[in-house]
Amino acid sequence: MNLLDIARVVRSKNAGPTTLTIDLLFNDRAGYDRALNATALTPTAVAALYRLRADQVEVIPYPPALAIKIVMDRALVAGDPGDRDVYGAQQHGPLLGVTL
Amino acid sequence: MTALERLRREVSGPDGKLAPLRILAASGQLGYGIPEVALAEGVKRRPHFIGCDMGSIDPGPYYLGSGQLATSEAMTRADLVKVLKAARALDVPLLLGTAGTAGAAPHLEKTLALVRDIAKTEGLHFRLASIRADMPRDRVRAAVRAGRVTPLGAIAPLTEQDVDEATHLVAQMGIEAFQRALDAGADVVIAGRACDTAVFAAIPAALGYPLGPALHMAKIIECCSICTTPGGRDALLGTLDGDSFVIDSMNPIRHATPMSVAAHSLYEQGDPYRVIEPEGVLDTRAARYEAIDEHRCRVSGGQWTPATQFTVKLEGAVRVGERAVLLAGCADPAAIAAMKDILPAVEKNVRELVAPSVRDAFELHHRVYGIDGVVAWPTAVQSAPREVFVMVECIAGSADTAKSVVTVFKQYLLHHGFPGRISTGGNLAFPFTPPEVVCGTAYRFNVYHVMQVDDLETLFPVTLETL
Repeated sequence: MNLLDIARVVRSKNAGPTTLTIDLLFNDRAGYDRALNATALTPTAVAALYRLRADQVEVIPYPPALAIKIVMDRALVAGDPGDRDVYGAQQHGPLLGVTL
Repeated sequence: MTALERLRREVSGPDGKLAPLRILAASGQLGYGIPEVALAEGVKRRPHFIGCDMGSIDPGPYYLGSGQLATSEAMTRADLVKVLKAARALDVPLLLGTAGTAGAAPHLEKTLALVRDIAKTEGLHFRLASIRADMPRDRVRAAVRAGRVTPLGAIAPLTEQDVDEATHLVAQMGIEAFQRALDAGADVVIAGRACDTAVFAAIPAALGYPLGPALHMAKIIECCSICTTPGGRDALLGTLDGDSFVIDSMNPIRHATPMSVAAHSLYEQGDPYRVIEPEGVLDTRAARYEAIDEHRCRVSGGQWTPATQFTVKLEGAVRVGERAVLLAGCADPAAIAAMKDILPAVEKNVRELVAPSVRDAFELHHRVYGIDGVVAWPTAVQSAPREVFVMVECIAGSADTAKSVVTVFKQYLLHHGFPGRISTGGNLAFPFTPPEVVCGTAYRFNVYHVMQVDDLETLFPVTLETL
């Protein structure tokens, strides 16, 4: 199953200029539970998608919104020379291909 | 009697209970246009005060570094007219946080100049408080030496040199600073860099409403109707009622549902359950989100723990150099396929060509949009796109050097020969000429740290004037 079959929102954004956060909002409890237990969404798996070490990624369940929050270090501080996305609003792409 | 004292009298019942407090969030980013119909609806609900957020660190280091606003003067002025007239017509306080995008002295001064001019031309009279957020460098240096400054996330430890080099260095003020301005008798408070939440939580805190729900409400309403579905920028009413609060969009098509409001608590937060303020921590682990009807949501359960040590978030930006860019497209399959090799080859050539003529050091960055301009993908592109867009950026010690480098890059990229080339007329399509654009000074954030402080009052001085 693809992430987009069970998630209604996959959004990325800075949480301050040194941190990127990606929110996955699921359609229902079943999808949320499935994602919560998926190996494709562990810190190690997500770190590989973003070229980071596993200790730079945190995966936080947020049941009130049937959501999972992924928090990771930015490779560059937002707006540093060489940055590609100052707001971090277009960094969700690598997650769209994951299967759960 | 001050505006705050009037409010206190209005909401205090004979039994010592506080009446529901209505707070109108008029703008989450003042200066981009405030939708008028929803604002007018909000004014009809007779809010006890109006709050606006005007800035953020999100737009990047340029604004803090340069002292410039991200919003245009015409739009900023128009939005300020709307909220000033609304607040004065109701005779209630207006609180505005992070003046002029980044909230340093030049941003605050430009915003205050507009406010003073509007008061004059619109015939408005009020007591105006301004609060500076620029940090005294000596105090920050002393804190660095004392080990009282730590990085916020993935950034190097702060040095005294960073403190000296930052063109502007601010800290985010909390509710304490707004309360001092209100206690001094302000009707309108224009603050430099401020926590978004402080704009909306300062008055509830001063009046004695519980801080947990007040801060949680402030966190949600500061972006106006972004917490609704479908989200938007319309004014939002928060009603604080004892241990809970109600979220109500002033646009009838934007519904605050338990799911949309809960999801907003996540937004732009590294930790979805904890919001750290200078004076304490908001914890939303026990929060409950309940529908009142299809349009409104009630939220309860936010917990506030006062800090044992005050802290402030420091933000600073430093000049990196002068920036120029080259903008061009390409639709040749062979050039697109070879682009990842062509760009470094041209760069090498350009560096050799300009070396005898330009004196400044420079750095080059190139992006191929359509391939990996936006994301550092973990895998190679599956199939080549029909067209790509190429952006070459040079940051140099002077604008002349930056422009020289991208100009030479343009010509050598246009005519670069590579194996399998068929489009020998040129490798690039320019949407206009000149395709080299001088962008002005480039900055980077060199300060994003948290500093322990023992006294908030002297860091954020209040100035009062009567208009």
